[in-house]
Parts: sequence; C-alpha cells; structure tokens
Amino acid sequence: MKIGVRKLKSKFMKMTGSQAVMESLLRENVKVIFGYPGGAIMPVYDALYDYMDRIKHVLVRHEQGAAHAAEGYGRITGEPGVCLATSGPGATNLVTGIADAMMDCVPMVCITGQVASHLVGSDAFQEADVIGITAPITKWNYQITDANEIPEVFAKAFHIARTGRPGPVLIDITKDAQFATFDFSYPKEVKIESYQPTTHPHPKQIELAAEFLNKSKRPYILAGHGVIIAKAEKDLIKLAEKGGIPVAQTLHGISIFPSAHPLYVGFLGMHGNYGSNFLSNKADVVLAVGMRFDDRVTGRLKDYLPEAKIIHIDIDPAELNKNVKAEIPIVADAKLAIQALEKAMKKNSHKEWVHEFRKCYKIEEKKVIENECSPKKGKIKMGEAIVKINELTRGEAIIVADVGQHQMMAARYTKYTKPNSFITSGGMGTMGFALPAAMGAKFAAPNREVICITGDGGVQMNIQELATLAQESLPVKIVILNNNYLGMVRQWQELFFKKRYSMTKMTNPDFVAVAKGFYLDAEKVEKRAELTSALKRMLKSKKPYLLDIKVEKEQNVFPMIATGASVEEVRLE
Amino acid sequence: MKQNYTITAIAENRPGVLYRIADLFLRRKVNIESLTVSEIEHAGQSRFTILVRAEPNLVEKIVKQLYRIIEITKVIDSLDESLIIKEIALIKITARNLERRREIEHLVHLANGKISAVNQSYLVIEKTGTETEIDSLHELLKPFGIREFVRSGRIVVFK
Repeated sequence: MKIGVRKLKSKFMKMTGSQAVMESLLRENVKVIFGYPGGAIMPVYDALYDYMDRIKHVLVRHEQGAAHAAEGYGRITGEPGVCLATSGPGATNLVTGIADAMMDCVPMVCITGQVASHLVGSDAFQEADVIGITAPITKWNYQITDANEIPEVFAKAFHIARTGRPGPVLIDITKDAQFATFDFSYPKEVKIESYQPTTHPHPKQIELAAEFLNKSKRPYILAGHGVIIAKAEKDLIKLAEKGGIPVAQTLHGISIFPSAHPLYVGFLGMHGNYGSNFLSNKADVVLAVGMRFDDRVTGRLKDYLPEAKIIHIDIDPAELNKNVKAEIPIVADAKLAIQALEKAMKKNSHKEWVHEFRKCYKIEEKKVIENECSPKKGKIKMGEAIVKINELTRGEAIIVADVGQHQMMAARYTKYTKPNSFITSGGMGTMGFALPAAMGAKFAAPNREVICITGDGGVQMNIQELATLAQESLPVKIVILNNNYLGMVRQWQELFFKKRYSMTKMTNPDFVAVAKGFYLDAEKVEKRAELTSALKRMLKSKKPYLLDIKVEKEQNVFPMIATGASVEEVRLE
Repeated sequence: MKQNYTITAIAENRPGVLYRIADLFLRRKVNIESLTVSEIEHAGQSRFTILVRAEPNLVEKIVKQLYRIIEITKVIDSLDESLIIKEIALIKITARNLERRREIEHLVHLANGKISAVNQSYLVIEKTGTETEIDSLHELLKPFGIREFVRSGRIVVFK
C-alpha cells in the first residue's frame, strides 16, 4: 500500500509553478544557471533557495552578462545554457545575447518573469512585450500564464533549443503562474509534429557528391560551426584524409582541425589566411559543411567560386541556396552526412593542390606573419601576444575572443590542438561578449584553461562581470590587448575614410586599478621583455587574473578582403 | 521579374505564429498584398493564405525561412495558374430612388453578384469571384457613388 502511494507521488507531485520550474530544470539535467533577480521572477528565486544544492546559480551583474555566459556554457557543453531574468528591463537586457545566440546557433533557454496575467498588456510596472520583442531573435518563444503548462513548455523549449539547428528559446512566465499550485509530471519525450529536423542525408545526393569529389582535381572543404555542433570533427578529418582534400575553417569552425594537420590550410573570411581565401576560386569542387556562406566568407558574391561545383551540407534547409547556389544541396546532420560521404568516396590524394596553399602560406608568412608575431623592436604587437599565450598553454586552452582586431588576431595566430576551443561572437559581432562568455565556458569546463582575449573597448562593455568572477573566485584569465583605440574601426578609417579617426580614440581607465577595485589580481605589461613572465604568472594563478597588455597603437590586421571585394582581391598590406 | 505568388502555410493554431510570419516578410521587405487566416480540416491547424508580388528566388528563400517557424508544418508557393482563387467583396452604395436601384440590381445580376442587404437608403452588394471579376464590378458601380468597399483577400484551393 505504501509503495503504491510513493509511486503515485513520483508520477504526480503537487507543487507551485516556481518549484515546477526548478524540477523541470533538473529533469533537463541543468547544472548551472546565470541570472539576476527582480520583482516578477521572485517566486522562482524563492524556489531556487531550496534547490541551491542541485542547481548552481551564478549571480551576474547585468542580464546581458547572463545571456553571454549562457552562450559560453552552451557552446562548450552543446547543451542549452540557461539564464534567468525578471520582467521588463531584466528581459530586454537579455536581448543582445539572445540575438547573438540566434546568429551563432547557440543552444540557450532564457526564462523571464512577467507581470501577473491580469496585468499583461496594461503597461504595468516593469512590463515589456518580451514575446513580441524576442520573436525575431528566438528559435521559439512562449508565454506561460497557467502553471499547468510549465512541464510541457519546458520540455519543448529544451528540445527545440538543442536539436536541429540549435538556437535560443525564451519562456516568459507570469507571476501568478509562478505562484499557482498544480500536479507536476514531466513529459518523457517530446514530439512536435511540425518540427522534425531532417538528420539523415539523402543517399542519392551522397552518391552524387561522392562522384563529384572522386572526379575532382582541386577539391576543397569549407568546414563551419555545424561540424562542431554535430561533434563530427573526427569524421571530417577521416573524410579529408581519405580524399586528400585541403580543409579551411570558418571563424566558428576554428579548432575542428588541429592547426598542425597537413591538410589544414587556414581560416576563411575578411581577415582569414591568404591561401584559404585566394585559392577558393581555383577549386573545382567545394564541399561546404555546417557553414552558411556568410558575406564575410564569400566576399563579392558574383565572383565567388566561379569554377566550383558546390556540395552544401546543412541541417537548416533555409541555408541551402540562400547565398550561394549549390549543385548538390544536402539537408542533414553534419556527422551523418560526413560519415556517409566518407564511405561512398574513393581514396585519393591531391598533393600539388595542397602544396599551392603552402606556397601561399609562405607568402603570407613573409609579408604578414613574421612582422606580426616575431617583431624584434617597437611596441608589443597583438599577434606576438597571442603566439606567446598559445605557446605557454600548448594550444590546449579555450580561447574566448571579443570583437575587433584582437579577435582576428586570436583567430589567426592560435594553434589549436583540441576541438571546440575557440569561442567568439561571429554573426552578430557583439562587443562585450568575451568576458561573460568566458565565465560560462569556465563553468562548463572547469578543468580547462579559459582565456578571455579582449580589447580596451570590448572589455568596458561588460566590465561589471569582473564582480561576478570575484564573487565566484572563478579562475578566468583576461588579457586586454590595449591600443587605446577602437582598433578595427580605426583600421577602416585609416584605409577607407582618409584617416579621419572619428570617435575611435579612447582615454581608458587604469584597468589594473579597476580590476583591483573588484578585488582581482591584475598587472600591466608594457615592454616585450616583461610579456612572457607576466603571462606565466597569470597562467600559474589559481584565481581570476587580468593582464593589461599595451600594444602598438595603430596596427592593422592583414590579410584583408575589403567589403565588396572578391576573395581574389585579398590584400596583404 | 516580379509575379503574383500565393504562399499557403499550414501551422499549429497558436498565438504568435502570425507575428513571426509577418516579421519574415518585413525583414525581406516584401509587402503582403492580402492575407487570410482560418482553421482548416484538421482541428488545431490554421491555414494562412498570403498573396505577394515578388521575384521567384526571393519567394523560394522566404518559403524556406517560413519552415524555420516551429509551428509551421507545410508551406507551398503557387502561381495563379495552378490555383482556384476566390475572394469576396462587399460594396455599399447609396440608392434612394427606384430607378437607380433597378440599374444597380441589373448590373449586379449581370456580374453574378447578389444584393445581400437593403434598406431605404442603401444597398449592400456581395460579390464572390476572382480579383479581376471583383475589380470590374467595382469599376461598373463607381459612377453610383460607393460608400464602402471591402474585400476579404483571396482564398485558394489547388487545382
């Protein structure tokens, strides 16, 4: 009899909406959430008080920080990062992070409080139309006004966020639904009739693609974030090795291939490698996997890949033929498609073709890399600092880059040995992303070194999160490549706006003093001779640590494909 | 070349779906010429019939992006030739004297419309048909002084 009752209890549990939120998070295996309390989410925070032993809540200092931290967490784990905010300003402060996650396909679940349902729509205190505001930047969103909906909506939200093309979802819960009591039972599985992403590639398309690759003289693989999301890095290496095909990576594809792999030829895009961009147009077959031919990658579209037959694999059908017409579009999960294609294709080798990339690299090395990474005199250069960090961490650290020149330097000059080791804001280019995202990444991978590479502009956009690092004693290492400019904008002003440096010069605070004010360890580096030892001290520290590195003020990132130029018009100086 | 496209979307009948659909057209800067929404043969499912004038490749992209909306199950874009198209229009005309009424009634009869409401001061004409048929009746009735003219937007079935 007793057993019967217990059984019944485990199936249906009487609880409040707020408790149900906690129980739902547990069912979804959520371990860490990032948030900030406020009026309309207080019942949930009250419930959280009883769950603190099972769910770690990180108190950020601004909701934007919560969103980016959830992104960092989501990028590293592949599971939805969760953030929690109150109604009105709490929710609207999440918006930039949500848009960022949408662009970069980051799984994320945002939970926002909402005013009581009888007040919704009445311009109540701290009311914002969060569903309306976030509809264009979420994969899905939903407002819960009845506690009974909580289990189903949560199960659906997590399912949508993590499957198919991952993305952010938002659940808005009215305060009365948080208070209401109901019988809780969590759905075992989620089936949404209207949402069933295609994961298996069409066999006929795979056969055709294999034929294209077999016949190709100059095949070329463009690998993007989708490969990492599908955890298909090893499969792609196997495929490339079988076909002897050179591989380039998009910004979010960085670290799929170990940088030292003989078939890895560089990173694509405006400031990518010379050969990987320039030689795109010489390829006769292009296999694009989990990437979306962003304008930063293609350059002038009408002159992109003129000679190539294109095989495009993506899980989102809307990406196929969106920017570039593909002869063979394949809607599928990258892992399944790569495995099938690898089986279907013949062993091959294209030594001369791969060698062409090496020749280009030699040119780039001489014209750009040597100056950037091993200068003997003058101020410290950004590339040089990146190379030092890379050497000292043996390419094993997770690099979280902000947006700007330092981001491109981190993308260009870090040599990776492990997949999924580079996080940045690519699609949106959100300044202020790196510090909170690094925080999220560190919670996701506490045993890996996480280094936030940021600029003097970017770090000031979410600098309040230093307080979160201090509160959590979270050993994130922050490197500011400080040139007293909004460097990337200044570079454009130099090259395209006749050196009219409009509003790009910055009078900065003393970042060391700022960090110390937050009770963090910090030091300043101004001379080349101090660089290595300062980096060593930073890496040795078991606490958060900030390094303010003064770099050359007016340095440019090259190579560069100017907006509207073709990939063949890549500039080396 | 811009053409008339009728985009038919089947979706779960939930609040917010229309918002997401409309937003997509807004982002692509495509004006919606007409839009009708109603529940269909399957309970809980709505059918959106959206008429746009746009380039074919843009329509193809919009259709694919519509599929990103979680609630949408099916999207079909069609040219007019492959559809049976109907629309309903209500036209209200002042008609106090008998002579005018007779004239109007005659025209309406010829145009296969009907008088759906009448009182001492006005007539309401109801016309179901294609957009062109409605346009031509509208033209014919203009000289009588139209007080209100409203049309439903097209609904379609596939041939």
